[in-house]
Amino acid sequence: MKKLFIFLGLCIAGMTAIYVSNKQQKVDYSTQVKPILNKNCISCHGGVKKQGGFSLLFQEEALGKTKSGKPAIIPGHPEQSSFIQRLHSQDPEEKMPYQRPALSEEEIDLLTTWVKEGANWGEHWAYQPLEAPSIPAGSWFEKALAFVGIPASWAQNDLDYFVQAEQKNQGLTHTDQAEKADLLRRLYLDITGLPPTAADYLAYEQDDSDDAYEKQVDKLLKSPHYGEKWAAMWMDLARYADTKGYEKDEARSIWKYRDYVIASFNQNKPYDQFIKEQLAGDLLPNPKESDYIATAFHRNTTNNDEGGTVDEEFRTAAILDRVNTTWEVLQGTSFGCVQCHSHPYDPIRHEEYYKYMAFFNNSRDEDIPDDAPTYRHHAPANEKTIAQLKSFLSNQPLATQKAWGQMIRFVEPKIHPHWADQFENGALADNKYLAIRNKGSARFMAVPMMGKTKLLIACRNSGPAPTYLNIHQGTKTGPIIARIKLDTTLQEKYAKPKGLFVKGWAYLFVDIPSLPGKQDLVWEFLNAKTKPEQTTATIGFWAVLPEVPGQLKSTAFEKLALQAIATEPEITTPVMLENPADYTRTTRVFTRGSWLNQADAVQPGIPALFKNTPVTNRLDLANWIGSTNNPLTARVAVNRFWEQLFGIGIVETLEDLGSQGLAPVNQALLDHLAYKFQVDFKYQPKAFLKYVVMSASYQQSSLVDESTREKDPNNRYITRGPRVRLSPEQLRDQILVWSGLLSRKLGGPSVMPEQPDGVWNAPYSGMQWKKSDGEDQWRRSLYTYWRRSSPYPTMVTFDAGTRDICLSRRIRTNTPMQALNTLNDPVFLEASQFFARKYALNGLEFIQKGYLDLLGRDISSSKAEKLNAFYAQTLAYYQAHPKETLAFLKLCSDNEKPGDAANLVAKTLVANALFNIDESMNKP
Amino acid sequence: MENEFFKNRLNITRRHFFGQAAAGIGGLALGSLLVPELFKGDASAQSLPLGVAHFAPKAKRVIYLCQNGAPSQYESFDYKPMLNKMAGQDLPDSIRGTQRLTGMTASQDKFPLVGSYYNFKQHGKSGTYISEIFPHIGSIADDICVIRTMSTDAINHDPALTFLQTGAQVGNRPSMGAWMSYGLGSENKNLPAFCVLLSRGRGNGQGVYSKLWTNGFLDSTHQGVVFSSSEDPILYLNDSDGIDKAGRRRMLDQLAELNHEGFAENKDPEVEAKVQQYEMAYRMQTAVPELTDLSKEPDHIIKMYGPECLVPGTYAANVLLARKLSESGVRFVQIYHQGWDSHGNLPQEMAMQAQDVDRSSAALITDLKQRGLLDETLVIWGGEFGRTNYCQGKYTVDNYGRDHHPRAYSIFMAGGGVKAGTVYGETDELGYNVVKDPVHIHDFHATVQHLMGINHEQLTYKHLGRRYRLTDIAGNVLPGLIA
Repeated sequence: MKKLFIFLGLCIAGMTAIYVSNKQQKVDYSTQVKPILNKNCISCHGGVKKQGGFSLLFQEEALGKTKSGKPAIIPGHPEQSSFIQRLHSQDPEEKMPYQRPALSEEEIDLLTTWVKEGANWGEHWAYQPLEAPSIPAGSWFEKALAFVGIPASWAQNDLDYFVQAEQKNQGLTHTDQAEKADLLRRLYLDITGLPPTAADYLAYEQDDSDDAYEKQVDKLLKSPHYGEKWAAMWMDLARYADTKGYEKDEARSIWKYRDYVIASFNQNKPYDQFIKEQLAGDLLPNPKESDYIATAFHRNTTNNDEGGTVDEEFRTAAILDRVNTTWEVLQGTSFGCVQCHSHPYDPIRHEEYYKYMAFFNNSRDEDIPDDAPTYRHHAPANEKTIAQLKSFLSNQPLATQKAWGQMIRFVEPKIHPHWADQFENGALADNKYLAIRNKGSARFMAVPMMGKTKLLIACRNSGPAPTYLNIHQGTKTGPIIARIKLDTTLQEKYAKPKGLFVKGWAYLFVDIPSLPGKQDLVWEFLNAKTKPEQTTATIGFWAVLPEVPGQLKSTAFEKLALQAIATEPEITTPVMLENPADYTRTTRVFTRGSWLNQADAVQPGIPALFKNTPVTNRLDLANWIGSTNNPLTARVAVNRFWEQLFGIGIVETLEDLGSQGLAPVNQALLDHLAYKFQVDFKYQPKAFLKYVVMSASYQQSSLVDESTREKDPNNRYITRGPRVRLSPEQLRDQILVWSGLLSRKLGGPSVMPEQPDGVWNAPYSGMQWKKSDGEDQWRRSLYTYWRRSSPYPTMVTFDAGTRDICLSRRIRTNTPMQALNTLNDPVFLEASQFFARKYALNGLEFIQKGYLDLLGRDISSSKAEKLNAFYAQTLAYYQAHPKETLAFLKLCSDNEKPGDAANLVAKTLVANALFNIDESMNKP
Repeated sequence: MENEFFKNRLNITRRHFFGQAAAGIGGLALGSLLVPELFKGDASAQSLPLGVAHFAPKAKRVIYLCQNGAPSQYESFDYKPMLNKMAGQDLPDSIRGTQRLTGMTASQDKFPLVGSYYNFKQHGKSGTYISEIFPHIGSIADDICVIRTMSTDAINHDPALTFLQTGAQVGNRPSMGAWMSYGLGSENKNLPAFCVLLSRGRGNGQGVYSKLWTNGFLDSTHQGVVFSSSEDPILYLNDSDGIDKAGRRRMLDQLAELNHEGFAENKDPEVEAKVQQYEMAYRMQTAVPELTDLSKEPDHIIKMYGPECLVPGTYAANVLLARKLSESGVRFVQIYHQGWDSHGNLPQEMAMQAQDVDRSSAALITDLKQRGLLDETLVIWGGEFGRTNYCQGKYTVDNYGRDHHPRAYSIFMAGGGVKAGTVYGETDELGYNVVKDPVHIHDFHATVQHLMGINHEQLTYKHLGRRYRLTDIAGNVLPGLIA
């Protein structure tokens, strides 16, 4: 009785809601007015051009005085607003849009009403604060029915009500639940990127419990392969690659970042923390190793080592890329426009781009060939040295700890030779080294010298030793602050008290006097023994350090520090490291986006569009992006997750939720998901993904009737399960699972599976594609070595990019090159053969069992017969052609002689056909 | 909403979309987007509704002989006797102006001018000056248009080459060939619209990289397909050893039947589209080896291109292959020939490079002309920037080097509506600056697109909130180049 009462109450409430929502609404700026302005007006009256002094981008500009001396829009008075009047004009000089077709009557009416109602500005939907939309009407009704014990609903959880509501609007409906096997295959591919094995299908089939599906979900989310699958998505966004990109495209060691991403997903790291670590891990209090590795996110930018390049040009290019990537990947807003001028469509101003750039412009990296700064991962014995040094430092003042701590771990802040100018009788050799001849010199301008009493030099002798280096203050004739003997020939002797000699470089500490502020230093090289054309000594880099505190002087500190600096690390990973205060760069606006044309200095800040508390450094920025104050982050993230599962985003343009992107097909659904992710699930990806895959929407069959397909051809309204072609990673990983070849090893350096000779011929460098040994050739595709100038063929053939820049969305295509790939790539043939060998069965039995194992369901008898006929014909051919049989089998890596070779070939080709059929290449 | 989605997928303007019927040039594409509507009720599902020229094209196809590494204009097409006269003297500051230098010569104390080691003479009725190391190109001077005033924004190879090919120095924008494929489709449904051929000369080399032939933000049906001189001219083209043609046919027939049956169950139009792509792959397996087999070329052709054209992977072989591909309807054939980066030892390296490319480059133009194809084929020859008029490193009378110079350099074009037998643009006496008729890379792109019937401001693709085009936000069509 009580339940019924509540039910009736809910009915009344619902009807009231419907009644209220029907009352006359005002014209909405974002959804009704802005699209008309964007389409017709803004290219002349926007962020780029402001014809007649009139712009519609910002409210204050639109309502302000134009060139004519008065405003074009007078709120409340369309009849006095030339903005409206000129829409009606017949005079070709007056009429708007200028020299273009007039607006429709409805459009003019709408704008007129809008001005009459006060010309109220509104914000684009995606910039409005994220709020939880109420669960759509109808759902409460079903809930109420369920409450009184009437099973009424298709919905499994709240998101289904949002899907259902939009379906209702469109006159569409949902589809039945998918068959068990299909559902399992979909779930496996979506959660772990790998297909189920035969045993997995069987176990699920036999599990009759009510929560059988949920158990699978939980199991898969715990699998370490879950992290691999979602890391694969993130690799495109992080533009992860194992090479530096430009020209020679040499190797870069950054795979620990990839492993960090895998681990983060597997740890179910909250997304805000994931962002914070990647954008500003180095600025966290007491950063851990993994916090530094996380910052390699933005060290995946390309690095130009080409001879004769100006490092500053490509350092700048990398910074711009970091800005654009941050916006595209985390904020789903096209920010690149603002690099050259104010945003033509969204209310972001030109200088705001550079204020934002200022967050990133003070990292220590400077387009150095060795990718400095790097986190130096030492062998355990050498890590002990570092630990020892740290304990020496532990009771020192914070500034000392920080400066020396960075020196022993990163050997930073380095002063690179490209800092030098005013070369006399010398040059920057190979773009990297300071190479000066006898009596020659070079100047380093404005070196921060305050409180620095220790000089570190990495040098090597080019000519006969020793070379003497005089460092002058100010000019070449200025006072000498240090006379240094760069004797790098006596390696052994040198190694002990004074310096160390590693990989051709000698490292030495020299005492220097403390000088105030920043100083110009002129380095003069003297070596009378060298020939006139010969370089004296080569300088790799140098650094200045604060004094070693008194009580450490008596210890082995200095010697150990030099050892830590000189020791070649086992592995290095490029990381972000913020400039010390006295190295800070000033950020300036680039006029029309060109780094060669710099204007006013700016301070870090976020666009005024986001009315928030001050955001002043990279860590603040990272915190703000992850905070609930940011309207974009959660929406952008859930849209990406959704696209991975459903093949298309709720906003199709994953990269652009701004006013030029496509509108969300179901904004309430998007906001609901974003709110759930951000607030209810506290940004935990696993909880969110579980929520989505537990929905009825996700569990639908992908089979659909003709009329629904007709009305919803692209499944925008989720009228069925997602049937989507697999990614190249999934395609290759899948056959490795099926053939039993897959190595399930997690992480580690990238590997080189089979790849035809010559693919790497195009770039000119000594790098070789060397096929990995043993199980490493059968690792998941995520671990395949990624060379930007020549990515792994299957990846580019199946629509992945080159990763020079981030890629938000792979546009799926269908090409003959793909067919050639899956038919003829030795990797696919090898897997086919190993699959064939797993079965003692032949002919029809092999086909039936094979199909069942791959897809978890029985093959139709007509398909089986067709394949069997193919098997029989193929078998007969190879029985009659032993030479061809051997030629075919030679291809595979395993030389084991099969008992019945012709039969093996026939089965292999049947397997290859099974791998190529449509149901294998798609998510069911 | 669906309609908006659909248009966005194709990413073409409404006018573009509906205008194609009127334009009437049926563009074919090798491959397609996975967009269901495209396949609905259309048996010839491969053709995308692109293939639209904005107006009547002068050229239908492009063969781009990119000489990467940057050949020196002073030893090829920009005759500067003054440099010989002033050899050894320092480049006057008044000429250099604010030009930035590369790190390779920026710290040189002196910039000694250096003249061509090779002689020049005038050729043909046009009297075009061409260096003696390019005698064959000299012999067709009346068929080509030499541009002496190319200029670019970049000063290092990678950014300059990327700029030349994509209209932007960094990033990953679609290449010229990808834009042509996108805008015009292919004329041959068995071949990619955009093919790439690579060769390496004997001079100091510079690499090439996939971003030069990338589809960028366009879909990957428009990416350049690299042909190699190995047994597999296209990756995975050949069936594996031990599989004969009949066996492959059997397998494809089975696959098609299985997929048809799958389609009957799931009605997913992509299934049928996929079958078509397997068929196309099969046709390529026949069509491509026929084309790449140069052994059956008649003697007079071999003679024309030189005996090297029978050595797979050489420039000459690639040029001949380019002609065959183009003749078969490939919209854009892109050749890269490496080895022009003569920072030192220029006289010797340049002569070797010239020897490798001179005869076959000229042969291509003559060959096309004889086949009546030159009018509709645009041939482009040139590098990513020029070289300095001063010496890099030590200058001696018979040995010198030249650094990179972006401000003024030479290329030539032929056929496809280009004004033949002309020289366009003028540089100063020292060849350092443009004094008349500059051709910026954006202008060059605009003009090439114009010749192909494309309005460079209208062939756009909306991405990240912006309509991108090959010419970025600049570029003018240069009527002086057009016949």
